[in-house]
Amino acid sequence: MKIVYPVEERCIDCHLCEVACIVEHSESKNPVDAYFSEGLSFNSIRSSYTHEPNQAMADKRPMPLNRCLVEFGNSVSLSTNCRHCENASCVLACKNGSLYYDHEGRVLLNEKKCVGCWMCLMACEYGAISRNANMKNVPSLENNGIQHHCDLCPEREEPACVMVCPTNALAFEDR
Amino acid sequence: MTQKFYLEPNVRNNLHINKPKQGDFFHNYSEYKVERENDKCIRCLICVRQCPYDCTYFDSGRNVIYNIHANCVNCKRCEVMCPTKCIEIRDWGNKFRDNAHWDYKHWSAIYKQADTGGIVLTGLGNDEHYKSYFDRMVLDASQVTNPSIDPLREPMELRTFIGRKPELLTSEDIAQGDKIKELYPNITAEIPIIFAPMSFGAISLNFQKGLARAAKKMGTYFNTGEGGLHSDLLKFKDHAIVQVASGRFGVNQTYLKNSAACEIKIGQGAKPGIGGHLPGEKVTYDIALTRMIPEGSDAISPAPQHDIYSIEDLRLLIYAIKEAVEYKKPVSVKIAAVHNVSAIASGIVRAGADIIVLDGFRGGTGAAPRVIRDHVGIPIEAALAQVDERLRKEGIRNQASIIAAGGIRGSADIVKAIALGADAVYVGTSAMLAVGCTLCQQCHRGKCPWGITTNRADLVKRLPVDVAEERCANLLMGWTREIKEMLGLMGLNSIESLRGNRLKLRGVGLSEIELKTLGIAQAGL
Repeated sequence: MKIVYPVEERCIDCHLCEVACIVEHSESKNPVDAYFSEGLSFNSIRSSYTHEPNQAMADKRPMPLNRCLVEFGNSVSLSTNCRHCENASCVLACKNGSLYYDHEGRVLLNEKKCVGCWMCLMACEYGAISRNANMKNVPSLENNGIQHHCDLCPEREEPACVMVCPTNALAFEDR
Repeated sequence: MTQKFYLEPNVRNNLHINKPKQGDFFHNYSEYKVERENDKCIRCLICVRQCPYDCTYFDSGRNVIYNIHANCVNCKRCEVMCPTKCIEIRDWGNKFRDNAHWDYKHWSAIYKQADTGGIVLTGLGNDEHYKSYFDRMVLDASQVTNPSIDPLREPMELRTFIGRKPELLTSEDIAQGDKIKELYPNITAEIPIIFAPMSFGAISLNFQKGLARAAKKMGTYFNTGEGGLHSDLLKFKDHAIVQVASGRFGVNQTYLKNSAACEIKIGQGAKPGIGGHLPGEKVTYDIALTRMIPEGSDAISPAPQHDIYSIEDLRLLIYAIKEAVEYKKPVSVKIAAVHNVSAIASGIVRAGADIIVLDGFRGGTGAAPRVIRDHVGIPIEAALAQVDERLRKEGIRNQASIIAAGGIRGSADIVKAIALGADAVYVGTSAMLAVGCTLCQQCHRGKCPWGITTNRADLVKRLPVDVAEERCANLLMGWTREIKEMLGLMGLNSIESLRGNRLKLRGVGLSEIELKTLGIAQAGL
């Protein structure tokens, strides 16, 4: 199965893959809207100048978070994301079956089921799983969030991060 | 991501903090203004990460990205990379009252010098408003009396042999075919375009590798500059012209033998008469190894070659190199175009050079004092025309090929240069433009945001080798096609027929003395 591989010697630490990921998983597919008008996020949670909560944004769909993460330091940088393992530890660890394999072998998440127990996060060998604190399924747990990892952009042939990378530092291939 | 990391400009990558001294004037003014549409800015911080000049920083408390406009050099990196295109760099009106005599260049240099007492450095080539003769020459085309040629349907010969040619080829010689003994070593370029000398150190290794690969792909040559031949480039040795400059960095017999041709650099168009200077902090392990100097030591080329104080001395060096390469490779001598260049060139040919490179005053540099870059040297068009004419008059034009360099901007310039008498041209700035250069003239700072003239590890990565290769090769391919079209419309099917063929050129808006210098006729005649 094709997954996204980083090419370290080409990555220039621009983080455009993160922006593309957020935009791709937003409703509008427009960077400005994705960051500002699609619900609560660091950018829209308060107005830049007044520092007051932005009520107009409160009811909307939460802003998507980036599913790839650029690790960088001392001129070494690379974009990391989910490896979609064959016998994935996260799927084994998931207690209510919200993580599953699709027909191609991708590890995907049923967003409605996840309760935020974080066993997958503990189990993942690659640290590719993160919390999406903007969404929650268990109302009693504040800021618990749900599981969050690369879904290889199901609506596209090639993931958005691979398309946007200015130096071809991401390879979408079957190795 | 620690947001505090981005709070302070200058802290990133542990750069040395150059805070303006109290009383510094220059920092109060800025040439450009970075205008940001705050509504569209999504705070992705790409501009902050991409700017190597500490012009942009993020204030996490206010959640706003700010700019220090005085640091902006108009390199356009942030403008290009911004995903929402919310950045625009403008010429700022932060200048003095309009003044035809004292413009930004003058007063900014005075402020800088009054602040520091130093020489104002810059990169790239002469950017002053001197007359461009290329722009005042036009080309001929075939009409009724002679037919033009369609290069798509008929063969078009661009192959160029560079080096000394025999005095006379008799029919007996030709009958012997390959067995002619008196042929001198020549290099064969499939197109008359060669990449200009740019040393590893001045440019990144990635870019040099890209040039080497593109040269191999297109059947032409690249030039190592004075920085030696990196071990990774050994496999491109058949496409390398290796340079022997006054610093003699990395020069030994193996270096000279690993080449297609050897070049003695006497002068550079951007800074005739002065040597190069690569500061010690830029001399990394790889550069030190290639240049054969201690890591971190200043790589200073002296102004003259200290063993060449006359034409006779030049002859000694040329023949020393010829001995070293066993007379198998042509030896070239590169000089800057200056006054009396034709007499100098004549001396060089008589000293035994197989190729003369003339570098005009628009030629680029990695670092040069601004005053020298802008005010020393003469235009390549005039120098080329005069040298070609002088060598023809003296009957020694066959003893050396002429390569023109310095400000070749496109295929039209190449065709005009060849019609004026050049055998081939060097292109440097055009190759840099092909890989993203925005002519910001900050090459001397070693922080090129496009990864071209830098050796900082994180910036070098911005220009991958295969991207450089593809784009440089594409440029040469495009120019090749254009040159073929232009030859075709002139009714020529070989670049040899155009060489020195000044009948194909006419001058527009030039005075009589200028036309005479260039050896061309007025348009209409």
